Amino acid sequence: MNAVRRANYPLIGLWIALVVCALIWLAPFAFMVLTSLKSTADIGRSSVWALPEVWRWDNYTAAAERGELWTVAKNSAYIALIKVPLGLMISAAAAFAIARLRFKRQRILLIVITLGAMVPVQVAIAPMFTTLSSMGLLNSTNGIILPYLAFGIPSQVFFLYGFFRSLPRELDEAARIDGSGNWRLFVRVILPLAKPALAALFILDFVATWNEYGMALVLLQDQDARTVPLALQAFQSQFASNYGQLNAFIIMSILPVLIVYLMFQRFFTQGALAGAIKG
Amino acid sequence: MATVSTAPTTSRPTHPSHRPRTPRRGLPVLGALPFLAPALALYGIFLLFPIVSAIYLSFVRWNGFPTVPQIWAGLANYQDIFTNDTVFHTALRNSVIWVVLSLVVPTVLALLLALALNNRLLGRNLLRSAFYIPAVLASIAVATMWTWIYNPNSGLVNSTLTSLGLSSWIQDWLGDPQIALYSVFVAFVWQTTGFSMVLFLAGLQTVPADLVEAAKLDGASAWQTFRNVTLPALRPTFTVVLVLTVISSLKVFDLIVGMTNGGPAQSSQVLALWSYSQSFINHNFGGGNALAVVLLVITLALVLPYLMWTLKEDER
Repeated sequence: MNAVRRANYPLIGLWIALVVCALIWLAPFAFMVLTSLKSTADIGRSSVWALPEVWRWDNYTAAAERGELWTVAKNSAYIALIKVPLGLMISAAAAFAIARLRFKRQRILLIVITLGAMVPVQVAIAPMFTTLSSMGLLNSTNGIILPYLAFGIPSQVFFLYGFFRSLPRELDEAARIDGSGNWRLFVRVILPLAKPALAALFILDFVATWNEYGMALVLLQDQDARTVPLALQAFQSQFASNYGQLNAFIIMSILPVLIVYLMFQRFFTQGALAGAIKG
Repeated sequence: MATVSTAPTTSRPTHPSHRPRTPRRGLPVLGALPFLAPALALYGIFLLFPIVSAIYLSFVRWNGFPTVPQIWAGLANYQDIFTNDTVFHTALRNSVIWVVLSLVVPTVLALLLALALNNRLLGRNLLRSAFYIPAVLASIAVATMWTWIYNPNSGLVNSTLTSLGLSSWIQDWLGDPQIALYSVFVAFVWQTTGFSMVLFLAGLQTVPADLVEAAKLDGASAWQTFRNVTLPALRPTFTVVLVLTVISSLKVFDLIVGMTNGGPAQSSQVLALWSYSQSFINHNFGGGNALAVVLLVITLALVLPYLMWTLKEDER
């Protein structure tokens, strides 16, 4: 048995260096948690790494109330839970058509759609504001779903196109011989095979939708329609000097994406995203 | 390539690979249309149309209110930007600085981390997560966190410097026009490095293990192996990382709004934010949209060649 292996000193050194770097990388989180549990007076007086003199758990309840956390979280959840599945289905259908069906100008269509992923929202935001306003969809959680869907399409179609192209052609032929039409081929054959890709996109898109700020800033100016990032920004400008509650609010606002991340961690760090970068 | 595949084609054998034929070969577009229609409608109305409108609006004078008429102004908005608008020059310079720095700093850092974390190490997944987690946070949350970290009195940075006896290094990180942009950039590095690292890690899995083994057996040094085996295999990953970095660095908006709002004295202004501010704060829709068009042209000039190249490769 090769139980005793020679100590690999370079690797141990590397490990120590990485652990130190990781601790530095995570220090902002620890600092935020500590601050969120201190009173304002305590923050001014004590050192940044000192434990709170009194543990102010009430910072969380107070911040949630002042920042109307429940209202804005409900809005964000509503938008994400409608936008993400709907957007995925729309993108998958389009990617399927471009990757597996045959029609004129396919390539140009793919290029035009993909280009949309490169465009900063600010390029289109002023006319979008005018368009939504003329449709009476400004300041509405339903209204903002439409541009969210549109801006999600390019990258998702590009990703799913790559995935669908990698599936063997013989699948289509077999399905055709069985007499399947396009719909059956899509729903019965292609979609089930795309489950891992769709799951990865679901998570990425949920996080992106929950975090979106640039469009919401312009299109949701009504108090009742605000999403979590808007509320966080408002909290910062209104109660900037109440550091304890501000940090409590930041923590509560990022909790949903942290939970999603921890649940689906392997998608992120173990290479399930590898499909995105085929050679 | 593109011309071949878009040709009408039933009579001409075009491709060696057997593509499936739609059952009703007369009207293939009709078969595809139901799949494409929802995506195309949304894309057309809420993405393409606004961009085309932005180009039109860049040629008018308008304050954005629907009751006020739009007055044709020709190239006046562009002339304004390039000759009178000193903020535009700052914003353009800052955007260029931002793109260049983003191509270097987070990319190199991410590659080093990926190489290190590709080794078999105790708690490897935990370490990967530590570096990746900031990437899932909302930019506006990162901005709020870092504003507090940079707080001149009680913030993490200045307090740490004081306790290390480096009080002379203390700065008003976000309040000093000389350094505000770079302070925000540090937060950007913290937020984006993890994502590039994950892409590099995925790319490293495509490096042929037997080749690395063979190089080692031939007595190649670690550096030689990296230079001649790993790096060439990472070429496609590099392209993806660099393109995504360019795109995300031209899109940077939330972080700057949240940390400095372009200040102090417009010193950290960037194109996306200046375009937004002109339209929605200064009610100069013409100027704002002219800036948007400039931003669009820069973006397309940087990423269009890549896109054409990928799709061509893909055809092979």
